[in-house]
Amino acid sequence: MKRNGGGFRCGIDTGGTFTDFVGVDEASGELVASKWPSSAENPVESIVGVVRQSGLPPDSIRFLILGTTVATNALLQRRGARVVYVTTKGFEDVLYIQRMNRRYHYSYEWTKPLPFVERRDCLGVQERVGPAGEVVAPLETNDMERLADMVAERLDGHGTQDSAIAVSLLFSYLNPAHEIRLKEFLQARFPGVAVSVSHEVAPIWREYERGSTVVADAFVKPLLHRYVHSVRTSLKRLGLRCPWAIMKSNGGHASASVAEGQPVNLLLSGQSGGIIGGRFFGNLAGDRNLITVDMGGTSCDVGVVQGGALSYITNYEVEWGLPISAPFVDLTAIGAGGGSIAWIDKGGFLRVGPQSAGAVPGPICYGRGGSEVTVTDANLVLGRLNPDYFLGGRMDLDPDRATEGLAGLGRRLGLEAVAAAEAVVEMANENMANAIRLVSIERGLDPRDFSLVAFGGAGPLHAGGVSEKMGMARILIPPYPGLCSAFGAALADYQVDKVWSTNYRSDSLDAGRVLGQLRDLESAACEELLAEGFSLAPEIRRSISMRYAGQNYEHDVPLGQGEPNAESIQQAFAEFHRLHEQLYGYSISGEVIELIRVNVTAIGRTRKPQLKAPPNGRAAQPRIRRPVCFSQGGFVDCPVYRRDELPARFALEGPAVVEEVDSTVLLHPGQTLRVSRHGVILIRA
Amino acid sequence: MTAMARIDSVTLSVINNALVNICREMGTAMMRTSYSPIFNEGLDFSCVIFNRRGDMIGQAEFCPTMLGSAQYAVSWTIEELGLESFKPGDVVVHNDPYRGQCHMPEHMVLRPVFFDGELWGFVANIAHVGEIGGMAPGSFAADATEVYQEGLRLPPVKLISRGEYVKDVWKIILSNHRTPKTSWGDLHAMIGSLGIAETRLTGLLERYGGTFLTEASDRLLQYSERWMREEIRAIPNGEYRASDCMEDDGVTDQPVWIRLRLVVRDDEVIADWTDSDPQAKGPVNATFVVTAAASYSGLLHVTSNDIPRNSGCYRPIRVVTKPGSVVNVRHPGPSVGGNTETHPHIQNVVVAALSQAIPDRTAAAEGASGCNFLFAGVHPATGEYYTNYHIDGSGWGGTAFHDGDSALCPENGNCRNTPVEVLETKFPWRTLEYRLRPDSGGPGKYRGGLGSSRILRVLAPEITVNALMDRTKTRAWGLFGGKEGGYGGIFVKKRGDTQFRRFSEAFGTVSDSKFTRVVLKEGDEVMIHSPGGGGYGPATERSSEAIAEDLRQGWISEKAAKDLYRHGRQRNRAARAKRGPRSGTGKR
Repeated sequence: MKRNGGGFRCGIDTGGTFTDFVGVDEASGELVASKWPSSAENPVESIVGVVRQSGLPPDSIRFLILGTTVATNALLQRRGARVVYVTTKGFEDVLYIQRMNRRYHYSYEWTKPLPFVERRDCLGVQERVGPAGEVVAPLETNDMERLADMVAERLDGHGTQDSAIAVSLLFSYLNPAHEIRLKEFLQARFPGVAVSVSHEVAPIWREYERGSTVVADAFVKPLLHRYVHSVRTSLKRLGLRCPWAIMKSNGGHASASVAEGQPVNLLLSGQSGGIIGGRFFGNLAGDRNLITVDMGGTSCDVGVVQGGALSYITNYEVEWGLPISAPFVDLTAIGAGGGSIAWIDKGGFLRVGPQSAGAVPGPICYGRGGSEVTVTDANLVLGRLNPDYFLGGRMDLDPDRATEGLAGLGRRLGLEAVAAAEAVVEMANENMANAIRLVSIERGLDPRDFSLVAFGGAGPLHAGGVSEKMGMARILIPPYPGLCSAFGAALADYQVDKVWSTNYRSDSLDAGRVLGQLRDLESAACEELLAEGFSLAPEIRRSISMRYAGQNYEHDVPLGQGEPNAESIQQAFAEFHRLHEQLYGYSISGEVIELIRVNVTAIGRTRKPQLKAPPNGRAAQPRIRRPVCFSQGGFVDCPVYRRDELPARFALEGPAVVEEVDSTVLLHPGQTLRVSRHGVILIRA
Repeated sequence: MTAMARIDSVTLSVINNALVNICREMGTAMMRTSYSPIFNEGLDFSCVIFNRRGDMIGQAEFCPTMLGSAQYAVSWTIEELGLESFKPGDVVVHNDPYRGQCHMPEHMVLRPVFFDGELWGFVANIAHVGEIGGMAPGSFAADATEVYQEGLRLPPVKLISRGEYVKDVWKIILSNHRTPKTSWGDLHAMIGSLGIAETRLTGLLERYGGTFLTEASDRLLQYSERWMREEIRAIPNGEYRASDCMEDDGVTDQPVWIRLRLVVRDDEVIADWTDSDPQAKGPVNATFVVTAAASYSGLLHVTSNDIPRNSGCYRPIRVVTKPGSVVNVRHPGPSVGGNTETHPHIQNVVVAALSQAIPDRTAAAEGASGCNFLFAGVHPATGEYYTNYHIDGSGWGGTAFHDGDSALCPENGNCRNTPVEVLETKFPWRTLEYRLRPDSGGPGKYRGGLGSSRILRVLAPEITVNALMDRTKTRAWGLFGGKEGGYGGIFVKKRGDTQFRRFSEAFGTVSDSKFTRVVLKEGDEVMIHSPGGGGYGPATERSSEAIAEDLRQGWISEKAAKDLYRHGRQRNRAARAKRGPRSGTGKR
């Protein structure tokens, strides 16, 4: 293969069923894609497989970005290192006491989640810092020695490969001196053992949340180290010499060696590519306010892009009650996918998900022994899926079996098979609509101001129904919807987030100190970018987290562009009042404002490729026509198109179906479709 | 075709989710904007939606304690004020324990929601306001003998009328609370969240129409009632008795007994409390609505978790009490501890009675004390006066399938603890330890959960403290041969002392667990032990692996393993003989 100039920028997305690869030629915009079965046991094998499958010569790959679920799965399956947890003496049980509350109001069945560390491995060390960051009791060397003996005993018999130490001392987010000393001491005493310390991993207040985060970090660190090593070796074997990076939960990427140092930042590595891809295509279509819906076989991730920017949250729960605090792209994941199972609860209500039939046995219509009705079965009965062109014809679906299954479910609901299928799709759509409400309405955003970007294998099929529920007038469907996450990974920027906790009040503010802290964070972030090989000027975003004095939860208030000064802090106070009014319906003018945290994000923008546009041309003709059922409308005869035959600026009125290899677009009656000059499908309600 | 016929089960569950989500949003807004730790760390509040008849049609999972009582507080408000008195933009406040509230700190704010010019229903929340005046700072007057010592009582009155502040009422409230600024912030968090709920409910009404939503919510009420009746039908018919006592009432050092006759008849339950002791002098009296809420909650604990939570769940349960008794306080009897201490005891008694009918679905007794610790003073760093309401979790009882959890909020609530770092940032205490207490879980085949220990040192010239606890002289019972959980307690070590002592010894308080206005000085220390939970099944049947694991993690001591579990010895099979349900801690 001859390449002129560029070379390929590549993204890999490790899904539950398939590992996807997308390469974009930076010069020509040419796109290369491949798919390879995922292997939960050996994820590196799928990476090798999918790169080989792409057929790209190793030296044409310029940069490779990996979305991985290794860290998340290790936590979910509790397969990580033996962790020793070191904390202030007297507080060894904090990870077991947790927050004292329960998941359910009325249940004797539920029990507290188990921390990722055994109680006997939670060790206390004599030392104390107070709430002003003052040292109340010093950390003595002989106490550290005694601690080291205990740590040695706990780690005895575990190789350094499977051991890790997590440190979280009270108030270390205000004064990390003791944690820094302990870290250096423990690293020297236990060479090769991973050490995570709380003021680096999560410099936030609340000892349980910070401790839980640092333990999770330590728990997966050795595993991540092995994973990175193994990927590195395999890529070398493939002849790849290019730099490579891992997607982070914040939607940016970091070089593999930086990423493995703080794996707690990788929990959404496998999911955040989707929203980046969705944003890219949204922007191509000229939209900057987007709600992205990535619906696959088992789950659906919903995210928000506002004015072209992602929203972030700082809390993630591995399971209820086990919080992890880190920057996360604000994604809400729900158990709604093509494989989601429909069932009837004890009270007789129809429910869909979160259980999934997966790929095996899969939906009833796969004919692989699945016996429970899934969303895919319902779509097939409604004529919305083509039994002969599923996965581009690689898999035959059996509509008769699906109808039989739906008839069975329907009998228990007092509905005919078709009505039952409608109800199943309706419930799945309602679940997705609820997830959209969570990321929009609950954040004070009106979903009607947003376009819906639908992708993943099942997203384009459900987008019409979901947008109708939410009153969203515009839907965007990227080209190759099934590959959008891998594509997003290929497009991701470098992004470093730095935070520091403070304790200032607006009535006695030393603006110089705040500005100094902002500068320190900025230079730390820029240094990290430089170390990763990003040598241009990064984009800097600064914000201060504030609340009214007396309140307990804070809001991030962005500072304007450019070097901040005392004036910009005053403007931020005014902005906080406005934000409070907007979110809660009132503000308290004149109230003292507390400054809780300063935040700096440095973004190293990478060049975005120009995709090849679809050819202009004649109007496309439908391949066939088939009857499709739309809600309350009964079956309607619909034209069925192939997406790769639709030229740019092609327009169509619903009802219609547009099929492609990995997805099906459903155009409801009354909706209109247009193909943009970049190949994005735009649907208007 | 009527509107009714068009409501399919899919639409119904969509509407149910929407109602729950509105309540959740209300709660999140309150958490984020409120001032007191008991609000924003503790989450001691509930959020509800009512129809215009006063049926609760939606709620979210925050603190269950107010949910049963919300039913009564709202219907009382409607009855007293009359439907016609509600105007758009109104907000009513209400904390009167003799008018359907659970105790005075719990304040309900309620806003009518109008649609097409007509009153459709109400959005409301009930939350613990940290300081409402009265004889003790923090308004947990553990030695009060009448309601007038417990703080400012507010029958249903308008705080906001047609969108305008009723300034006179605000002035009265804020001049009777010790920390008016905090009350102001918390009340605004409550009222602000009502605005959000109103907007969302109006959106739902616009989507479905008023009549349709009324009929749909009626169907939801029927649905929950039907499901609850099915669940009750699965409980064997019979009459089950159980009892328990409050160890003292804070004023007299005498136990106060709660006695239940629980009748299960087909699809109905009658909780008859008429044999309980007369009204106590001190504030351990429960209002009728607390007894009702505890009775409901006991049943909800042993039935399906998936029943939509609305008033329909309560319809098959009848609660019978005698006015002027510990389970139905009459004016002017005090009741502040009735909601935090007596409430979980009452509920534990319901579960003990049910354990005779459905042993596998029940649990041994839990610590059942909020370990309420209130303190006040002037912060040396800011010079500002503060008060705070502090709580701890206790051990839960073992069940037929697993050990009880340690340090969990009692069953009547679902509050969070206040992190050490939050506590010390706001108040002049230094925490010396916050840990679990080995051996405090009742031995059993399935062990009771452990209680916690917290030691606090005074860092200001003075801090005034109050406590309202229970199970420091009695213990959480075991079931089916399981043993009792460890005692709770609150102790003091004055500066220079070498040992912790009871407050009765150090300060001459009548009760060890219930007292007010004790002034501590700089360097004094308080130690709060929360009680442990009871065990389930004989300890001798506990597996050796489970005992070895308890030893390994330090949940039990070597001595307990040997003495109580006979670990490492020949297991005495005869020890199993003493089985069978046992409830209550003493006489019936």
